[in-house]
Amino acid sequence: MYTLSDVTKNYRKGDYTVVALGGLDLSIEDGEWLAIQGRTGSGKTTLLQMLGAMDRPSAGAVRFSGRDLAGLPEAELTEVRAASIGFVFQTFNLIPTLSAIENVETALVPLRIPAAKRRARAAQALADVGLSDRAQHLPSELSGGQQQRVGIARALVKEPKVLLADEPTGNLDVDTRDEIMSLLEKLWREHGLTLVLVTHDTSIAERAQRVGVMKDGRLFTGAEPDDAS
Amino acid sequence: MFFLTYLRRELRHRMRQALIIAIGLGVGAGLVVTVTAATSGISNAQAAVLHSLYGIGTDVTVTTAAAVPKSGSGGLGSNAQQENSLSVGDAGLLNASSVTSISHLRDVAAAAGGFTLTGISLPSQGSGAERPAGAFPIPTTFSVDGVDLAHLGLGPFASAKISSGRSFTASDTGSNVAVVDANYATAKRLTVGSSITIASTRFTVMGIARQAQGGGSANVYIPLGRAQALTQYQDLSSLTGRIDTIYVAATSASDIPAVHKEISKLLPAATVTTSGDLASEVSGSLATAASLASDLGKWLSIAVLIAAFAVASLLTMAAVGRRVREFGTLKALGWRSRRIIAQIMAESAVIGAIMGIALGFGAASLVDAIAPKLTATVPPSFASGNTNTVGVHLAAHVSVSAILLAVVLAIAGALIAGLFGGWRAARLRPADAMVQMQ
Repeated sequence: MYTLSDVTKNYRKGDYTVVALGGLDLSIEDGEWLAIQGRTGSGKTTLLQMLGAMDRPSAGAVRFSGRDLAGLPEAELTEVRAASIGFVFQTFNLIPTLSAIENVETALVPLRIPAAKRRARAAQALADVGLSDRAQHLPSELSGGQQQRVGIARALVKEPKVLLADEPTGNLDVDTRDEIMSLLEKLWREHGLTLVLVTHDTSIAERAQRVGVMKDGRLFTGAEPDDAS
Repeated sequence: MFFLTYLRRELRHRMRQALIIAIGLGVGAGLVVTVTAATSGISNAQAAVLHSLYGIGTDVTVTTAAAVPKSGSGGLGSNAQQENSLSVGDAGLLNASSVTSISHLRDVAAAAGGFTLTGISLPSQGSGAERPAGAFPIPTTFSVDGVDLAHLGLGPFASAKISSGRSFTASDTGSNVAVVDANYATAKRLTVGSSITIASTRFTVMGIARQAQGGGSANVYIPLGRAQALTQYQDLSSLTGRIDTIYVAATSASDIPAVHKEISKLLPAATVTTSGDLASEVSGSLATAASLASDLGKWLSIAVLIAAFAVASLLTMAAVGRRVREFGTLKALGWRSRRIIAQIMAESAVIGAIMGIALGFGAASLVDAIAPKLTATVPPSFASGNTNTVGVHLAAHVSVSAILLAVVLAIAGALIAGLFGGWRAARLRPADAMVQMQ
């Protein structure tokens, strides 16, 4: 699914250059669940952005289904994000003025799916995460766990190949965390997704097939989850 | 259509923010509409003033300077002392045949002659017992217009409305009949059927007239032929075949300059005055308002409009700044930048259009409701021969074009604001949005 070769990402901050990723190599198989751990500022989010076609590397190649994302024009990167990659955010990132079902629909808008079909698919996605009865509610009327369920429904409604989750339980209590992780695991299995999940939580990382630990812009895979601390 | 759903939700849920932007735009557009409507109202008021002086339909007047009195002749002073006389005002005399010549000009629709005269009445000898010995009798004066009965639609009488009795007809040409201004009739206790003495001749009042704006009217209107026959001027015992003003109607408003040129060529010594010339000589609060509307109002509108656009743009950019996470998320979901820009611009355009109409219409309606009274003072050199102060109410009518102007301006401002907001949103990268979410 993914092959990253010697990927470097540098940011300019005034007179300084910050190396977020320094010669990172990584392969992720189809249907694999990879958990990424690491300290704050170790480059976890930058790596997720590279995998999600949200940013380009300063050097190196990010191959996704055979295409080098680093060399694609912006319009094609947008299409890749629209069709193939689902995102789950730590802060849910729901549009506050749209209802739950409309938020799910936002993921289908770029795919130009007819309105009726779009609405039906969004309703099914909400049903899959157990939120059919909250379809017309605004995000402000939902609990944190329910908002994250809407976020997961939005990520999966377009049936992506990859699901990228950035601290999906970071803003949730322990009970809700377990509930959301169980849901993600279930959906990962049912949909045959490739799941890349960034987390600080070792108990969550332990559920993954493989754990990578980011340190100084490099990823160490096959490591024990405890190494992240 | 999801675009409209999103638009509707944003406008409904971000009402306060939308209102702030809209008020900024609306104030700018509303001021422009107000100034436009007020300028239009002032223009109408000016037209009303001019109509009261020259009559509706008169585009050009022709007068000539008074001749220098011959040595030994009476001139104005000589007949001014005569009991019950009719004298010429400040204007000089024109041949009545000039009316025909002018009416044949290419761009002239109609022409009429007229006389603006002053009647002088001295108390009769019988009342002398009431005066102290040796005191001169005090003359009373009143204004008299000689009306061209063949062209009642031109000249000052054209805008007079008969409130009782009847107006002139062509058969009144040689009759001693008069139409009296309503205010004058009240002051002199004249009614239809009363008699009035003009230049020692008894006239029967057959109608009472009221001028639309009141102040510019003559006291008494009599047939032009009778006015010519009874007026003394210098060493002439009558002014048959003479007039002092020619009222001209052009075939269209755009032909007025051409008419001016043609008459000036035909009568080089005459003073040709268009309604535009006269408007420039009108003073008083109406002229001040016209000047304010055209000068201060225009620049104030432009300044406020620029300020409104700038404030709306800044507010829209600030609003986009607060929605970085939202737009970043949409980009992460695969929304193209142009779709997001269209969304922002549509929100701005709807806000601008609604408020442009509401505030533009509201502001102008306010001026219309208040309808301040303006006055216009017309210098004595014009047709009436007297300084006239005319009161008119300013009506800022909101026309369809004014509303369209408000909408166009508000939408333009909103789109400019939306462009700035969209430009900021377009510069966002999905990754930037995620970084800011941390």
